[in-house]
Amino acid sequence: MRNTTFATLATAALAFGATLAAAPALAQTIDTARIEAGGGNDWPTYHGNYKSYHYSTLDQINTGNVKDLQVAWMHFPGRSTRGVQSQPLAADGVLYYSGSYSRVFALNGATGELIWSYFPELDDALVARQTHSPYNRGIAIGDGKLYVGTVDGRLIALDLKTGKPAWDTKLMNSQKATVGFTGAPLFAKGTVVIGSQGGEWPGRGPIFGVDAATGKQKWQFLTAGGNDYDVAAKKTWGNDSWRTGGGGGWMTGTFDPPTNTIWWGTANPGPLYDWSGADYKTQGARPGDNLYTTSVLGLDVDTGALKFYHQELPHDAWDFDSAVGEFISIDRDGKQLMVHPNKSGFVFVYDRKNAEVENVWRMVENINFVRDITSKGELIGRRDFTAGKQDEVLCPHISGGVSWNSGSYDPKNGQYYKIGQEWCMKLSVVKTAAITEPQAQLNIGANFTIAKPPGSEIYGHLDARDPITGAKKWEVRYPEPPLSSVLSTGGNLVFVPDARGVIHAYNALDGKELWSHNDGTGHQGGIISYSAGGKQYVAVVAGFGGMATDDYSVQFGELYKSMPKDTGALIVFGLK
Amino acid sequence: MLHVSITTAQQAPAGQDKLDGETLFATTCGWCHADGGREAGKGPKLANSQRTDDFIAQRIKHGKEGAMPAFGGTYNDEQIAEIIRYIRGLKDDAG
Ligand code: HEC
Repeated sequence: MRNTTFATLATAALAFGATLAAAPALAQTIDTARIEAGGGNDWPTYHGNYKSYHYSTLDQINTGNVKDLQVAWMHFPGRSTRGVQSQPLAADGVLYYSGSYSRVFALNGATGELIWSYFPELDDALVARQTHSPYNRGIAIGDGKLYVGTVDGRLIALDLKTGKPAWDTKLMNSQKATVGFTGAPLFAKGTVVIGSQGGEWPGRGPIFGVDAATGKQKWQFLTAGGNDYDVAAKKTWGNDSWRTGGGGGWMTGTFDPPTNTIWWGTANPGPLYDWSGADYKTQGARPGDNLYTTSVLGLDVDTGALKFYHQELPHDAWDFDSAVGEFISIDRDGKQLMVHPNKSGFVFVYDRKNAEVENVWRMVENINFVRDITSKGELIGRRDFTAGKQDEVLCPHISGGVSWNSGSYDPKNGQYYKIGQEWCMKLSVVKTAAITEPQAQLNIGANFTIAKPPGSEIYGHLDARDPITGAKKWEVRYPEPPLSSVLSTGGNLVFVPDARGVIHAYNALDGKELWSHNDGTGHQGGIISYSAGGKQYVAVVAGFGGMATDDYSVQFGELYKSMPKDTGALIVFGLK
Repeated sequence: MLHVSITTAQQAPAGQDKLDGETLFATTCGWCHADGGREAGKGPKLANSQRTDDFIAQRIKHGKEGAMPAFGGTYNDEQIAEIIRYIRGLKDDAG
């Protein structure tokens, strides 16, 4: 297997070698085995490796010398409408990342020198109509190509060394569905998986498996009501409401190599809010449990067949979806577990064989959409609204108890570093109707306003916790919830890029701040560490804008009022 | 002519009476224009707007890049007029 890949690569290197400008030596190709091994000098997949640790084993930068960390180089992607929200990747000394409008760059990881760039031509008229656009949250690499989705419904493959398009496949009719792809694809075993946006959009939220070599679609999984033969799932949607059910899988999940299984989280059903009252099985806009929305799915990577699932919130009436893509594989006490945060602020712990719930714990204080979720995953004391103004605020706020960005798990010390967000909203539920013609429209079903939690201010916190039990070791608080991903490293450091624009480095053991740097504008994307030319770097994207951040100026005042929503940069740090 | 077909779980297709401005607003605008347009949120407060009807209609049709989506492909002039009527009728009470 490997030998063939090497041979192909060698030929490719000969063919394109002359056109390459100072590209660092490409020792190997990125394949499933290398992503599985992860760690080391590279960051070859969205979540770092298939275990989704967002952790780098590198320890050149550590608690002793982090005070000497400084900017090594920067890169400006330009046209950063709604900021830069992506997670960079790194392999063999090259850094790859994407910006708004799915612009992709390959840069020398040591110097920032451009190796190639690719700007796809998008349907501008469609982009102007889209609510969740034109940001892009990341890319995948594997088998000699780089993969990126577009908001107009395409998945594009570029030659990893030259940036030349290898294929460009239109997977969905975004002109009609109004939604496309903003999430990073996942490469695994010759298949590229990507999920569409959905949720409050009256479609059926497809997740696709595409042949990495040819760009041909291999399979499709419809998250609202399941695929056509799945009669049982459709019975969980009264009055055929699955036809406009929403769903989708807009963040990147992961791959479990031993079982050949893709783990993917799905988005909420539409309308976002329902007016069913307590009898949600028979009343309201979408009577029933609404499979497979707000669920985690186990799909066969080759066929897309559903192996198992768990619906985290049956009949989600609060937009606390399961789209968060973090699936952290941890083995403990003879059990093979998978940890997955739900947007509500509850964290689910599963058996990796079958998604049976092993535990549920709370990442945030302010939760009142249910009284509780038991350790077996059962919802207790649900608040199912009827139409009209709700007297009590709903917690958390629609932007979630956790964001779509990822926490970080340090396998050395067993701690999970994750950001929680404490905020609520005033809510008035309004009966609406799904609009599908001439093109799909948002279906929200409510008017609302961000609000303080009862008896406290809005705030965010970085927690160090046991990922299985939720036991908290330490916490750092922020006056405004940070929205970006977290990085932990072999140097016993935890990096948090905050909303104001400051990146902090903490001692992983006690949360003591050891270093900080102002990047000049808010963060709401990824952060990685990698090595190039024998030197360790930390790369972070800065650039604010989008649905969650757009509440900050009214809520938190001046710093955010003047913070641009159309700029951003990649900032790379190294030791002096 | 633009045609908007609406499907609801209870009745498909819904009658034209479903197309009032308040419903349209809560369907597509309420996420960004807080408290039904009565308060500033992601988008500006719309209650007591000093903008002309024409300005509002143009903004709804064309949106604004990176801030507000364009609705001109979905809503016809009649529906946009309904939405403007809803905005003009908003009481400036945040409560
Ligand atoms: C994704 C969020 C979003 C959605 C959805 C949205 N808007 Fe907006 N809207 C904004 C933002 C942000 C602005 C401010 C644009 C600017 O001038 O920078 C705005 C501006 C406006 C303005 C102009 C206000 C002024 O005085 O300048 C009007 C009127 C308006 N929106 C109405 C609507 C209506 C009606 C809908 C639904 C059909 C809607 N909006 C949907 C975000 C949104």
